[in-house]
Amino acid sequence: MEGKPQDQRYLEAAAAYGAALHRLAGAYEADPDKRRDLLQEVHLALWRSLASFDGRCSMRTWVYRVAHNAATSYAISQRRSRASAWIGLEEVSAVADPAEGEQAAGRRHSVDRLLALIQQLKPLDRQVILSYLEGLDAAATAEITGISPGNVSTKIHRIKNLLTQRFQEGVRDAE
Amino acid sequence: MQNDDIRNLWQAQGSGDAPLTLEELRKKGAKFRTTIARRNLREYVAVALMVPYFIYFAWTAGLPLMRVGNGLLAAALLYMAYQLHRRAPASPASGELAWKNCLAFHRAQLERQRDALSGIWSWYLGPLIPGFVMVSIAISIPLFHKSIRAGLLSLIWVVLPAVVFWQVARINKGAAARIQRQIDELEAAESNSDSGAPE
Repeated sequence: MEGKPQDQRYLEAAAAYGAALHRLAGAYEADPDKRRDLLQEVHLALWRSLASFDGRCSMRTWVYRVAHNAATSYAISQRRSRASAWIGLEEVSAVADPAEGEQAAGRRHSVDRLLALIQQLKPLDRQVILSYLEGLDAAATAEITGISPGNVSTKIHRIKNLLTQRFQEGVRDAE
Repeated sequence: MQNDDIRNLWQAQGSGDAPLTLEELRKKGAKFRTTIARRNLREYVAVALMVPYFIYFAWTAGLPLMRVGNGLLAAALLYMAYQLHRRAPASPASGELAWKNCLAFHRAQLERQRDALSGIWSWYLGPLIPGFVMVSIAISIPLFHKSIRAGLLSLIWVVLPAVVFWQVARINKGAAARIQRQIDELEAAESNSDSGAPE
């Protein structure tokens, strides 16, 4: 079933969420070439999945689930070859910000620092922080990730504190 | 910098251009299906080549032990091929990535990896052992008749593979235990959820 409705749905989804998918790929892969491949994989997974779109959830939930699940599969396979460790939101505050101590903002762009922070998080925490950055509310994030809205709210609280701590420090360093 | 500024900064990046045209997606989709089909075919071809080889020796070998050993190896390969076919993730259903929320999808993936690793004795290495041991003994017996030294040296072909099998099993067991710890973490995250979010 790879006919016109699937193509039409894909074009609509890509138009609405293409930029978000681009950002999501950046949060899962730092290397530009591999990131491009990952983005293509995510779009392919989305197009294939839309052959069976049945309206059981909103298009937004569908797109984010497909994208996160495809990217998480990718991250798991990459992690096996790189043997890098992921950490949780609870531990990340204790890990030094790579930009700390530099006269930060001028030398390293805030988005790069944000990406570096996200890329070291465990998949679930990464999914929540990305949903927060994309402006999704707790209920939508819960539907995508599978954790309760209460748990999402707790994680978002930690994320806000973490971002405040990291980025206000960066601004002070720059001053 | 306020959190809203960070969100705005985040959302300002990223191009909305689709990286692939519909035609390219169709081509990649077809290539994906071909890759899966080829991978399965390779496994069946390997079995199709090896099984007749062992059956031939099971039929023609002089020593009964050699005949039984080769027969057992052929049967073990067929069993392995059946298990590989049964366990292979094959092509995931196209909607599977959307039907499961991230937590359920991630857990299912880890469970599949863990089961494949921890079950390696029961369906991959284990079935080969009886036939392998019988064939090795059948090879050693005539050598023992020639000289004890030659017989003992021939046993190296039993010991070396046994060490390799043991190492493979040990590494897999460790990897399965590490994956289990990740599953436990995900289950803890699920149980921390006060009410279940829809799957």
